[in-house]
Amino acid sequence: MTHFRRQCLLALATAWAFVPFAAHAVATLDQPAPAFTVQGADGKPVSLSAYKGKTVVLEWTNHECPFVRKHYDQSGNIPKLQKEATANGVVWLQVISSYPGSQGHVSGPEALKLNQQRGAAPTAVLLDSDGKVGKAYEARTTPHLYVINAAGNLVYKGGIDSIPSSNASDIPKADNYVKLALADVAANRKVAQANTRPYGCSVKYGD
Amino acid sequence: MPLNASTLWPALLLALAAPCVAHAQATAKTEQVEVRLVSAAATVQPGQSLLVGLQQKIIPHWHTYWVNPGDSGLPTTIAWTLPAGATASPIHWPTPSRYSLGPITNYGYADEVTLPSVVQVPTGLRDGDRFELKAKVDWLVCNDVCIPQNATLSLTLPVGTAATPSGDASLLQQAQARVPQRGEPASWQLDGGKLQLAVPKAAPAHDGAYFFARKWGLVAHAEPQQLQQARLVITPGDNAPKAGDDVDGVLVLLKDGKPVQSLAIGHDPASLTPVPVSAAAPGTAAASAPSADQPSLWLALGLALLGGLILNLMPCVFPVLTIKVLSLLHTAQGSRRVVRLHGLAYLAGVLASFAALAGVLIALKAGGDSVGWGFQFQSPVFVLLVALLMFAVGLSLSGVVNLGGSAAGIGQGLASQPGLRGSFFTGVLATVVATPCTAPFMGVAIGYAVTQPAGVTLAVFLALGLGLALPYLLLCEWPALQRRLPRPGAWMDRLKQALAFPMYASAAWLAWVLARQAGPEALAVALAGAIGLALAAWLYSNTRDLGPRGRHASAAIATLLVVGAVGFGTLGVTGTTNAPQATTAAAHGGWEPYTPERLATLRQEGKPVFVNLTADWCITCLVNERVALSPAHVDDAFRQAGITRLKGDWTRGDERITKLLAEHGRSGVPLYLFYPPGAQAQPQVLPQLLTPDLVLAALKAPASP
Repeated sequence: MTHFRRQCLLALATAWAFVPFAAHAVATLDQPAPAFTVQGADGKPVSLSAYKGKTVVLEWTNHECPFVRKHYDQSGNIPKLQKEATANGVVWLQVISSYPGSQGHVSGPEALKLNQQRGAAPTAVLLDSDGKVGKAYEARTTPHLYVINAAGNLVYKGGIDSIPSSNASDIPKADNYVKLALADVAANRKVAQANTRPYGCSVKYGD
Repeated sequence: MPLNASTLWPALLLALAAPCVAHAQATAKTEQVEVRLVSAAATVQPGQSLLVGLQQKIIPHWHTYWVNPGDSGLPTTIAWTLPAGATASPIHWPTPSRYSLGPITNYGYADEVTLPSVVQVPTGLRDGDRFELKAKVDWLVCNDVCIPQNATLSLTLPVGTAATPSGDASLLQQAQARVPQRGEPASWQLDGGKLQLAVPKAAPAHDGAYFFARKWGLVAHAEPQQLQQARLVITPGDNAPKAGDDVDGVLVLLKDGKPVQSLAIGHDPASLTPVPVSAAAPGTAAASAPSADQPSLWLALGLALLGGLILNLMPCVFPVLTIKVLSLLHTAQGSRRVVRLHGLAYLAGVLASFAALAGVLIALKAGGDSVGWGFQFQSPVFVLLVALLMFAVGLSLSGVVNLGGSAAGIGQGLASQPGLRGSFFTGVLATVVATPCTAPFMGVAIGYAVTQPAGVTLAVFLALGLGLALPYLLLCEWPALQRRLPRPGAWMDRLKQALAFPMYASAAWLAWVLARQAGPEALAVALAGAIGLALAAWLYSNTRDLGPRGRHASAAIATLLVVGAVGFGTLGVTGTTNAPQATTAAAHGGWEPYTPERLATLRQEGKPVFVNLTADWCITCLVNERVALSPAHVDDAFRQAGITRLKGDWTRGDERITKLLAEHGRSGVPLYLFYPPGAQAQPQVLPQLLTPDLVLAALKAPASP
C-alpha cells in the first residue's frame, strides 16, 4: 500500500514536471512555484527543485530593453541587488525568454559575457527561448521579478520597484519591492507587498 | 555576440532617439513619434477653460500607451509648467485600442492620438499679455521593442477678449469626440471567479463589448471577455476587485466588430465635458464647430457682396439711395462723363467708409477688444451724432434748409465739384446708416472676416461696400437704365419732401436707442440738440436775403447752435453712459435675460432653450421680434413645448453675448439658437430673417442625435 502510494505520488510528480505549463496551472502567490528544468547559459541544466530549502529570485531580463538598461547599465541597481542577495545565500536566476531573432535573445556565452561586462552576478542564467518558463510564471515584462521561499512557495511577484519609469534618477526615490520582499522572507514575515505591478518592455515571446 | 539585424537596429533606434528635444517649442520629433502642443483657441481669454492637447503622430506598427498600459508599457505623462494661477486638468484619455503580442496585451494608441486637457486660465490677465504653456512630455513608444522618449514643448498664446478658434480647433474637437462619454456607476459582481459587469440599459444596439480597466491588475488584460445577455464576463487580474471597490474604466460596445459607443464607467475621470473654444466655464455651451462652419474666402466675399446689395433695401438706407437716384434724374440729361464720375464718387465714399470701419475693427481687435458688426452703435455718442445727422438730412429734404448746395436745389449743384463731394459723402452716409442692419448673408461673411487676418477682413468689408454701392454705380454706368427712369418734374420735390419722414423716423428710433443706452437724460440732450439744429437751419435759410452783416451774424449763430447741439450733446451723453442697462423689454413677453450660467443650467437639465441675441439698434432684430417671435400662436407654441426663452441684449455691448456669437462664427446680431431637449443636443441656428412658420417648424423639428 505504502509502496503503491509512493509509486502514485512519483507518477503524479513526474506528470506534474511535464505539464506545469498548461493554461492557468501557473504561478499563484502562496502556492508552490511551478517547477522547471531548463538549460543554463553555462550549458548545464537548471532545476528549481535543486534549490529547495533556499530563497530563489527569478528575474526576467532582456539586455536591450531600456527598462533593463535603466537597472543595469545606467544605475547598476540590479547587479548590486544580485550581489547583496547571493551574499546572503539567496539564489538569483536570470531568465531570458526572448525567442530567437527577437530583441534580447542571446546564446549562453553571450549572456555570460554581457553579465561580466555589466558587473552582474546572478547564480545562473536560464535560456528559455521557447518561453515555457516565462509563460508558466506569466512573466510579461523585462524586468519582472518573482521570489520563491525555502518551502518552494511563490511569495512575491511583480515589479522591481514602485516607480514605473525609464528614468534611472527615479531609482533612489522608489521603494525596491524585491529588496523589501527578501527582507520579509529573511525575517520569516509575510511579504507585505507581495503582488505589484511589473513595468518594462514586453517579454519577446515567440508566438 | 554577432551583430545581426535584430540586435543592431533597436540599438540604432535608441541612438537616434537619445538626442531628444532640448529646446522648448510647439513641435518635437523622434524617429517614431512627432509630438505637438495644440490649443483650440488662438487667443487666451481671462478666466476661460482653455482646451489644449498633446498630439502624437506615430509611425506605422508602433504605439504609445493609455493610462493603464496593460501588461507592459508606460502611459504618456505631461508635466505642465503654467503661468501663476493657471491649472491644468489631468489628461482626458481618449478610448484606447488593444495590441496583443502572444500572451501580452497592451492598451494604447497607434497612428495618431491627441490627449486633451483643460487649462483654467486665471482671471487677472490683461490684454496684450502672453500666456505661455510649457509641458515636459514623457512617453514610451513600442512595436516589438520599446523606446522611452521625451520632449519639452511650449506654446505661447496672446491674451485677448475675442474668442478666436485656432487652426487646431477641429483637431481638438475630434479628440474630444474620442474621449468616452460619461456612463453610469459600474454595476458589477464576482461570480464563479469571474468579474461580471452590467452593460448600461440605455446602450445602443451591440453584439460585443470590451472593458478597459483603468487600474492595472483589475482584469487579466489578455483574457477574452464574453458578453452574456446584458453582462460582460471578465477574468479578474492579479488585483481582483473586492466588495466596495471601484471598477473604473471604459466600456466599448461593438457591433459587427466595430465600436458603436464608448462609455466611462464608474468614477472614471476619463470622460470630458465638451469644452467650447471660448467657454468662460466648463459646460457653458454645447460643443460648437467654429472651424467646420467657416466659409471659404471666396464664399465669404460672395456672401458679403450679396449682403451689401440687400442692405440697399434696409429702411434707413433706402431713402439715401432714393435721394441719389433723384439727383441722378437731373444729371441724366448732362454729360455721361459727369454722371459716371458721380457713380464713382459714391462708390469711393462707400468704400472709404467701409475701409475705415474695417480699419477700426482691425485696430480694436489687435488691441484685444471683442467687437462685432454694428459695434459703433454700442457707443451712445455715435448714436447721438447719427440721430442728429439723420434729423439734419430730414430738415434738408423738407426744404427747411439746403445743405451744401445752392438755393436752386440738389440737382443743379451736382455737376459742380461740391456735387461730386456730395456724392462721396452720400456714400459715407449710406454706410453709416446701413451698419445697424445686419442683413441676411452678412452675418456669416462678417463673422468669418473678423476672425481672419487683417487683409481678409478688409477684403470682405470692401466686398460688402461694393455690394452696397453697386445699384447706383450700375445706374450711372449704364445710360440705358437711366432712360428707363421716370422724367424729372414737380413730383420729385414732393417725393423728396416725403422721404424726409423716413429720415425723421430713423432719427426718432435712434433717440429711443439712445434713451435705452444712456437713460432719459441723454434723450433730453438729444431732443435739445435736435431743436438747436432746427433753429440753426431756420435761421440760416431765412437770413439769406439780409445784408452781408446780417447773413454773417445769422451764420455765426447757426454755427454756434450746431456746435452747441453736437458738443453739449456729446458731453451730456458721455456723462450718462453709466446708466444701468434697460432690461425691462427682456423681462416681458416670456423672455428671460440671457446669461451663460442660466443657459448652462438649463442645458444640463436637458431642457429646451431658445436664445435670441438682439440689439435695439438692429432693425432686422426688431422686425423679427415683432413679426415672428411675438405673435400669439408662436408664443403659445413656446409655452406648450416648455421652451425657456432667453434674450441677450447687445445694445450696449456684452462680453458674454459676444462670446456666444463667436462660438457660432458670428460677430453681430441677430442670432437665433434653438437647443432641443436633451443635454447632448446640438443647437440649431435659425436664419437671420424669421417668419412665424419658420420658427414653428424649428420648434417641431426632431432633436438632433
